[in-house]
Amino acid sequence: MATRIQFENSCEVGVFSKLTNAYCLVAIGGSENFYSAFEAELADVIPVVKTSIAGTRIIGRLCAGNKNGLLLPHTTTDQELQHLRNSLPDQVVVQRIEERLSALGNCIACNDHVALTHPDLDRETEELIADVLGVEVFRQTIAGNILVGSYCAFSNRGGLVHPHTSIEDLDELSTLLQVPLVAGTVNRGSEVIAAGMTVNDWTAFCGSDTTATELSVVESVFKLREAQPSSIVDEMRKSLIDSYV
Amino acid sequence: MLDTATSLQYSYKMRGKTRGPLKPRNPWRPSPPESATMGQGRRPAKRRRLSRLPPLLLAFSPFARSILFARSTAPNSTNPDPSPSSRTTEVGIADPKPPKAIKRIESSEDEEEEEVEMVQADFEFFDPKPGDFHGVKLLLQNYLDNKPWDLSGFVDLILEQTTVGTVVKSGDQDEEEEGDDDGGNDDEGLYAVISALNLGRYAGHRCIKELKRFLLEVCSDDSTKKKLKLLLEQQASDVGLLVSQRFVNCPYQLVPPLYDALFDEVSWATEDEPTQELRDSFRFKYYILVARIFESKNVNQYKAKQSQDCDEPVIYIKAEDQIFRELSSLSFTFHLHAEQLVPPELKNYKEMGLVMVVKADDVPKFREKLKSLVVES
Repeated sequence: MATRIQFENSCEVGVFSKLTNAYCLVAIGGSENFYSAFEAELADVIPVVKTSIAGTRIIGRLCAGNKNGLLLPHTTTDQELQHLRNSLPDQVVVQRIEERLSALGNCIACNDHVALTHPDLDRETEELIADVLGVEVFRQTIAGNILVGSYCAFSNRGGLVHPHTSIEDLDELSTLLQVPLVAGTVNRGSEVIAAGMTVNDWTAFCGSDTTATELSVVESVFKLREAQPSSIVDEMRKSLIDSYV
Repeated sequence: MLDTATSLQYSYKMRGKTRGPLKPRNPWRPSPPESATMGQGRRPAKRRRLSRLPPLLLAFSPFARSILFARSTAPNSTNPDPSPSSRTTEVGIADPKPPKAIKRIESSEDEEEEEVEMVQADFEFFDPKPGDFHGVKLLLQNYLDNKPWDLSGFVDLILEQTTVGTVVKSGDQDEEEEGDDDGGNDDEGLYAVISALNLGRYAGHRCIKELKRFLLEVCSDDSTKKKLKLLLEQQASDVGLLVSQRFVNCPYQLVPPLYDALFDEVSWATEDEPTQELRDSFRFKYYILVARIFESKNVNQYKAKQSQDCDEPVIYIKAEDQIFRELSSLSFTFHLHAEQLVPPELKNYKEMGLVMVVKADDVPKFREKLKSLVVES
């Protein structure tokens, strides 16, 4: 199920949170509503951890992770690193990496099997990603944007990409990622998908400006709805933005 | 302000500002493709037809370009229904008001280090339209401190009220965008917004209710609170919420035309609106403003000590707020809870919110004083 929330009047919930299948990170300082929205959905299943990274609240854009591991930028403080190591389950490897491009959340988009990365990432970083996160790494761009982590969000079941992605790119990415992809928007037409929403295999959180159409696209492409009669999906075709020609 | 040795040579045009009876408006919703008028025929698509001065200088210098790119931080809203039909409205949108005279500051164009490099920037004034949602929302992010409220609904109210309200965008995109957008390139972002909302007319909206509750909560002084309560509840239909927000380093020459545009539109609306009820809703007796100021932390210290510190006890982020405060019949400050980013020069100052109530009769005085403020600076 997809939920609409906001962080202190900002609809960019993907900036202030990071959701995976094994844990959820949330920024400190927001109202309790933000935190409790996550708790309500996830508390019994995975730990919801309040943290900061490098003293900032934009944790969703600074770190990248999946159920196997979590990568943190070099600006993360030792206390934060320790706090995360303590709070996350043992099977999650928490690693701080030395990478010039420190906004890892903007540079890396990943699920539990595949990662797309910024074309300029270091070789060592690419290897670390493959090791720590246990994924296959592809250097890609999305609709001409190098910040792949910002302009797409994908889980193990589906993905949403920048609305200007061409059909050929969509097909290519879909083949790489092995999940169905759709080009669309969140938060009333915002193209920065990953900033506007955060998703895992069974739930998604979108900014509160997300329209009903956008929300239903999210629910359908990430397969968040229970048993879906195919006729409804067929009717959804019109609202799926397949190309922006 | 720009901290390098450059200055902005700017011009502004009142584009797309129309006066005249406009068709009653439906709340914006994505129009069905088959509708010929698109519900937007009333929008002043005549911007294209207004005569433009030939550009005197080259296209943007790289510096100006980088200013504008830095502006476009807000997520873009793709206009869902650009339609050729909205531009063919030959009738109805007569523009009796000619475009406002372009003011150009004298400048010299040269590359020498000692001389100041002039950058040309055009600002254009438009009626609010739904595509401006993200830009206006970004400007009003901190309007009520960090309390979560229906900001999106509030922005929608401002954008729906096209008869009174102005947004300022940068010019010079129209040449490339002739065929695509209908008026102004939304991707560049807004620089300023101004509007006046009647608190009685919109009293039923959740955002206005939350706003009223917020104002009453932060008012610490009881007598002021009583008067405020009276204004917000019994007299709400006479009170206009004056929303005015702009990026911090907008050139000050923009401000008098912005306020002139607003107050002129309010007076035109009292005559032009289609129904008597709407006409009356713009006969404001009071304006209420929510603004920000920097107050010296040493306010309570002994006067002698104060002399060694910065002179002014209060710094107004928007200079016209000082005039408003002098003319206000009622004002109070409130503390802010949100994370504050105070520039290093102002480390002895604390940012505070300021609420003011100004009588509508004092507006002409305000307009005069505003002009003289610009002349001085």
